Amino acid sequence: MNDDLSSRVTLTLGHLYPDQLNLYGDRGNILTLRRRCQLRGIELRVVELGIGDALAPDVYDILFIGGGQDKEQAPVAQDLLEIKSIGLWAAIEDDMPILAVCGGYQLLAHYYRPAEGPDMRGLGVFDAWTIHKGVQVPRCIGDIAISWNGDTLVGFENHGGRTYLGTATPLGKVLKGHGNNAEDHTEGAMYHNAFGTYMHGSLLPKNPHFADHLIALALKRTYGRSDHTAESLVHSAGSNNGSTSSNNGIKTRTWTSRSRNRIHRTVKDDHITFLTPLDDTLEWEAHAYILEHMGLHHAAVDVLRSYKDVGTVLHLSKTASV
Amino acid sequence: MSEQKPPRSTKREARKRPGSDSTEDQMPAKRSSKATRSQRIMKRRRSSSLRAGLAVMGGRAAGALSRRLHLGGGTSIAGIVAQRLYPDIVGHLSTQLAHGSVLVTGTNGKTTTSGFIAAILSDAGLRVWRNREGSNLMQGVAGALVIRAQPDGNLRRAGQAISIFEVDEAVIPKAVEILPPRVAVFTNLFRDQLDRFGEVDTISTRWRQAIDLLPESAPLVLNADDPTTAHLGEFFPGQVIFFGIDDPSLDLANEGLAIERHQAIDTRTCLHCGGEYIYSVQYYSHLGHYSCSQCKRARPEADVRAVKVVADGLDRLRIQIETRTQQGEIVIPLAGFYNVYNALAAIAATQALDINWEPIVSGIEQFKPAFGRGERIHVQGRTLRLLLAKNPTGFNEVLRTLFSDGIQRHVLFVLNDNIADGRDISWIWDIDFERTTQYLATLTVAGTRAFDLALRLKYAGIEQTAMTIVTSAPLRAVKVANESKARNTRQQRKVLKAQAMQQAQMTALDESIMNHHITKSYGITQALDTAIRQTPTGETLFVIPTYTGLLEIHRELERRGLTPRYWEERGP
Repeated sequence: MNDDLSSRVTLTLGHLYPDQLNLYGDRGNILTLRRRCQLRGIELRVVELGIGDALAPDVYDILFIGGGQDKEQAPVAQDLLEIKSIGLWAAIEDDMPILAVCGGYQLLAHYYRPAEGPDMRGLGVFDAWTIHKGVQVPRCIGDIAISWNGDTLVGFENHGGRTYLGTATPLGKVLKGHGNNAEDHTEGAMYHNAFGTYMHGSLLPKNPHFADHLIALALKRTYGRSDHTAESLVHSAGSNNGSTSSNNGIKTRTWTSRSRNRIHRTVKDDHITFLTPLDDTLEWEAHAYILEHMGLHHAAVDVLRSYKDVGTVLHLSKTASV
Repeated sequence: MSEQKPPRSTKREARKRPGSDSTEDQMPAKRSSKATRSQRIMKRRRSSSLRAGLAVMGGRAAGALSRRLHLGGGTSIAGIVAQRLYPDIVGHLSTQLAHGSVLVTGTNGKTTTSGFIAAILSDAGLRVWRNREGSNLMQGVAGALVIRAQPDGNLRRAGQAISIFEVDEAVIPKAVEILPPRVAVFTNLFRDQLDRFGEVDTISTRWRQAIDLLPESAPLVLNADDPTTAHLGEFFPGQVIFFGIDDPSLDLANEGLAIERHQAIDTRTCLHCGGEYIYSVQYYSHLGHYSCSQCKRARPEADVRAVKVVADGLDRLRIQIETRTQQGEIVIPLAGFYNVYNALAAIAATQALDINWEPIVSGIEQFKPAFGRGERIHVQGRTLRLLLAKNPTGFNEVLRTLFSDGIQRHVLFVLNDNIADGRDISWIWDIDFERTTQYLATLTVAGTRAFDLALRLKYAGIEQTAMTIVTSAPLRAVKVANESKARNTRQQRKVLKAQAMQQAQMTALDESIMNHHITKSYGITQALDTAIRQTPTGETLFVIPTYTGLLEIHRELERRGLTPRYWEERGP
């Protein structure tokens, strides 16, 4: 299947506000997506969408919004609301994968209340809101690890605002670090295929499974609609997300339930067949290093073990095809 | 090293102050409430000079002890102890300096700029005192004064002395308050250690506070090409001297590098109206000739200008200078375009102190760089050159210096995430490593975040097999994961029953996946050895570390007897 797709597959990534929201090495996320596509023969075109540019949802397959300073966030918030909101909403309802980091994440929630000055209205994609409790309240800064989809995600967080989730589903549960608000152990939010998170550092290079998840979602949405297995998988993953949405703040048991892991397996297996596996040794070592650095020794071992399984499969599939 | 932990120590300082003030400083004053004002002042002065003497003795004893125990240079511990004993020790001692003091702050170039100023002033016949590089928080400043003070609370030979303090950009308001300078220099503002400061804007707010506290008589030296820095001039009622580069041939556009467009740019919008800046000339990051697209406010005219800059190999820069009173050529004995700004800042500051042209030229031309600013060290037949790179702009400029002439280089990168480096290393994704891919003869990646940097280089298009990774410590999880190989193998065999798999093949694969590019050694000693081994005899190895990486390398070279102990280094 990969070989059939590879010669003609193109994905278009819309990078929102690259000039204003560029604070925390977000370029790494774009570089990662581009390279991981390229290695599979998929061409990733990156279109930069600045202030004043219209967002036509049909043109893009995947969207990215980074983080910036409070000062630069205000004009972006206004533009997002006035010029891009309808296009963005259409894209999200149509299951377009979207990654919003830090400031971008805050702007996809209902509002951001800065330490000084008026509230910034967001799009309300995530039923969540962010409050900056003043300069005397310490920022949430440091390495962070969360559990996502039965795996771990690692990154670095640096945010003054505290985000509280209404009915939004968190992206994951905090294993170490602050997360949304340093209170309820939630991190990020998701709605359909839109993912909001505070994790940068950059996020995708050290989390190749998450990068591939985004690429796979984009491919399925654009090229895989007729493919029944792909569609059903997306749906099962989606409904699973719904079931955990109960009420954030309270630690729900669903996060650790077995059914979740089972579905995760199928999604993961699907990735292997859907996307050509890559040699991610370095990625997983960097990932495991952060986990170990944070004292999550067992998680680090798990990562290296499960990666070796995948690596073996990769090796076998190569030798088999030769 | 304690001076590298600003949040804790400054807090401690702040907490300490009110307590000790009330117990000792105000008590005598209260007791003598009926005495006349002059008597009270007399008494206070005597008591404060007694306290100063005590603080000096305590501080110097602590410093000597720390040196004796080989814990470090001992200047900052001297400062900490002295400030504990007498919080106002800096204010007390600094008033005795006959020629006052110069404060230098900014993200990049503090050390080199204050080095240039020191060299110029000592060529002009002054006795120059400096705080050691890195000791740029208040206790470092205090330490630098305390170690030069006598037990009676007075400075030794303060007659011809002028002090030059490089001050951390976050503590500058406090420094200006305690130590009113004769000249204040602001070099530039870039993103650096966002994990410490939060955002770039936090610093520019603090700089505004510092400007409000600055005495009107002190000339303010500002970088005209950096919008955030130049902007400060509008809030200062006194004399402002701008320095900048007026050489359009250095425009980034002339380099024809599309990747530069993505460079980390930390100030994009006008500080008045929020309009985008338009650049007629852009040198690097947000430095250049800018004007606002909306309110039309533009870069101020520079008083001290470099009208022609020519790189003369990797070791020298030839610049044509024009000031209000002088013009001439100066050869800066350093590579790196950013050093033009450092020299200009030093020229502007020393001209503000009425220094003649001759010492300015000789001071700069005979300048000896601080450790980690490109000096050569000979090791086992190879030449080592150390180039500190601590934030994206500095790093990009180092790469630009090294990789613009198409010569293959041997490189050792050291990326650490200690507090002094900044815990957040996401900035490595803003560095244009893409430009290095063709020109790396050998590459060693080391430090606490070696994996992150290796990953960054991988995504820049450098083959994994082309780099040697030497982490600072072994990854324990690798060992555990390998130990459980047997169990894994069984699982895999179940999954892949259809394909007959040879045990030997799998073991080989495990080996190749886990270990093919990582050496079995760890730490800076091994990293340095590996990189030196990879560099052929007679060639040059470029070592590019972050701040604590540089300290580690210094310690390592010191251990091998190749550099002097850092507290034995003497400023000019």
